[in-house]
Amino acid sequence: MALDPVIQTFITESTELLQEMENALLELENSPDDKDIINALFRTAHTIKGSAGVVGVEHVERFTHAVENILENVRQGKIKITNDLIELLLNCHDHIAKLVEMATSDEPLSEDFKSTEDDLQKQLHVYLDAVSDRRIKTQTKEPVAREPEFDSELNTSSGKTVKNKNWHISLRFGRDVMRNGMDPVSFINYLSRMGEIISLTTLTDTIPSAEEMDPESCYLGFEIDFKSDFDKQTIEDVFEFVREDCKICILPPRSRIERYVHLINNLPESPLHLGDILIKGGALTPSELDEALQMQDVETVSFDDGQTEEHTRKIGEIFVDEGMVHPPVVDAALEKQKEQKEASSRESKTIRVDTVKLDQLVNLVGELVIANANINQNAQRIHDGGLDESTSALTRLVEDIRERAMQVRMVPVGNIFNRFQRVVRDISRSSNKDIELIVSGGETELDRNLVEKINDPLMHLVRNAADHGIEYPEERITKGKPRKGVIRLNAFNDTGSIAIEVSDDGGGVDHNKITNKALDRGMVRPGQVLSEKEMYNLMFEPGFSTAEKITNVSGRGVGMDVVKRNIEALRGTVDVESHEDSGTTVSIRLPLTLAIIDGFMVGVGASFYIIPLDMVIECVDLAEADRRVTDKRNYFNLRGEVLPYVRLRTLFRENGGKTDYESIVVVQATGRRIGLVVDELHGEVQAVIKSLGGIFKHVEKVSSATIRGDGTVALILDIPKIVESMGGVEIKV
Amino acid sequence: MSKTIMAIDDSASIRQVVGITLKKAGYEVIEANDGKDAMDKLTGQKVHLIICDVNMPNMDGIAFLKELRQNSNYKFTPIIMLTTEAQEGKKQEGKAAGAKAWIVKPFKPEQMLAAIEKLILP
Repeated sequence: MALDPVIQTFITESTELLQEMENALLELENSPDDKDIINALFRTAHTIKGSAGVVGVEHVERFTHAVENILENVRQGKIKITNDLIELLLNCHDHIAKLVEMATSDEPLSEDFKSTEDDLQKQLHVYLDAVSDRRIKTQTKEPVAREPEFDSELNTSSGKTVKNKNWHISLRFGRDVMRNGMDPVSFINYLSRMGEIISLTTLTDTIPSAEEMDPESCYLGFEIDFKSDFDKQTIEDVFEFVREDCKICILPPRSRIERYVHLINNLPESPLHLGDILIKGGALTPSELDEALQMQDVETVSFDDGQTEEHTRKIGEIFVDEGMVHPPVVDAALEKQKEQKEASSRESKTIRVDTVKLDQLVNLVGELVIANANINQNAQRIHDGGLDESTSALTRLVEDIRERAMQVRMVPVGNIFNRFQRVVRDISRSSNKDIELIVSGGETELDRNLVEKINDPLMHLVRNAADHGIEYPEERITKGKPRKGVIRLNAFNDTGSIAIEVSDDGGGVDHNKITNKALDRGMVRPGQVLSEKEMYNLMFEPGFSTAEKITNVSGRGVGMDVVKRNIEALRGTVDVESHEDSGTTVSIRLPLTLAIIDGFMVGVGASFYIIPLDMVIECVDLAEADRRVTDKRNYFNLRGEVLPYVRLRTLFRENGGKTDYESIVVVQATGRRIGLVVDELHGEVQAVIKSLGGIFKHVEKVSSATIRGDGTVALILDIPKIVESMGGVEIKV
Repeated sequence: MSKTIMAIDDSASIRQVVGITLKKAGYEVIEANDGKDAMDKLTGQKVHLIICDVNMPNMDGIAFLKELRQNSNYKFTPIIMLTTEAQEGKKQEGKAAGAKAWIVKPFKPEQMLAAIEKLILP
């Protein structure tokens, strides 16, 4: 069987389960007695093991089995959750993750890897050995539950065997067989594949009269003579699913006559009637039957009915006892399950869709938006009332579709937030710090493609905060802060974009350290006074790291600049705010999506430009009269506030016809406001973002382009870049 | 007409293995993620047999079995439970609820097919 796609599914699924496992372990650290978490934890190991076994990834199965064993014991309360156990299980988790990763390769496991595994196995066995006494007890109970075999070797001296060369099978189906979903006929059908049924007699003796008969109960019995070369075990296995409810007796060919005696005694039908059937089927000859019936008398004396009855009853009791050893799941658990049902019924209605399909859908929606804009433009030209009405209805629908399509790709950012719990935990352990990560706003949704790409930058920031931000406990106590440091990871929606903040209550950024370092590196001139903002920006310069000693966690001099570059590649911004001794906050702002934005279109000369709508604050007129004054000093008096501005006409060297009337679009980015002077305001548009391609990689101030309804191109402005470039323009007063 | 079998397991890879095996053997297959999902998908159509995992979120195999038997359409539908040896307690509980056919994971495809053939006529 070609299992490749199955292995792929297995890897995806296991990766998700491993994430769940890790989360559960970390949660367990705070609430070690939470039954729900323990159950969830068990299920992750259980499912991974089960799937691995079925898919045939043996090394995963073997190792996870040991973990599952531990968790099963935890679930039953035989092993207590301790921090050491959680640590061990986390290590096991890592090991399983590696094993899963290797599921596709045929290469043998490396020696190093094996010794890690052996080591973990050993540690796991310490826990298991502690409970093994009880395990032996439960195991010994197992055989008691089984029906005593009819055909167990009887020690009666007479060794006479019957002449019959066929198997004899006596079947008495239990009343509940059909209610349990079993069809007696299908078992006989299956039996017939393994040999030849010589004779089959259906016993109807126990069928009650019509008025008493329950149509859902099974009253049937069969006496079968069967010719087959299979061994007893195989024939017995045909009936494995009904063995517990039914009386089944299988006598091998040439059985001793005593066995038939035993058989006749143990079946409910009258011995004479049964004897007839046995003779008819060829199991016994008449003389053999006579002999058997004589022996039966002896049997009944030594083994009278009352005793047999009592014996069976006892088995029943043992069954009940056995049932009580494994009591049904505690009621409380069922109650909980009910509560969860409602919440999770929504989850179960989800389907997995390949992200490629989603991306295609979003691209098509993009094309649809463009086509719609085209229709709108044409309709405006034609000026037909009916047409206008239909186009506006269409536009509304297209807008809805666009919004829905984008929503489909949105996933809660919390999915990646939870991964950092482990990071922080590991750092605080290895560096002897006491750090807690508080996550909030995890439900905030973000484009899936973005979520994946901010993982690494966020990882850097969280590591930085844990490693450099938070001080050692002693230091914190002398500063009068609580021993435990806190890192907060917060996400929220903010005017068309999403903001993610990583903050810590640590030592903050040491201004002197940064200045000295920058001087060292020749990034600033001696004596140059840096604003707070400029100072923080230095931290994002390549090769800048103030960590005095480089730890294995962060501070290798790469990091912050990579963070900034990654975020900017996503059209996002990074800001730092820090106060000495009270901590640092890094804020990341990201657009909600990468594919389509709401933009504000302006015209300059003959060209069109689009400003991301969430950055537009307001539009004001720049009258001819004002122009003459303000042009000399390139700032504008906006209700008493100084507003530097830049003329897009100059910036992009547009030389189309000048208009008398100009407008200023006030935009805000990275905490600063500037004005953009434009010729015309065209209003809101939906812009499908088309990247500019490799050749235009070095073009600044323009982030991408979009295609307008009539097929012309409009450039989307990179506002943060433009604002930044204004930094050097000195305001002439 | 080929017989329809429903496979319920929260593990996608097990569903896939079961699905491939059954389809190769000529059965129609309906897949479900858990007991709840399965109950939603059982809307009165004929299902000849159900293969069901025991330990699942939302509704486990035993709760599913109990609910299934309440539905007159599926009162007599054969059901095979999938289990692992670590779940002896669950198995007892399942047996009490009337689950008689068990397959222990990991199982070989032939094993599963044999179990099915014992329960339903070809």
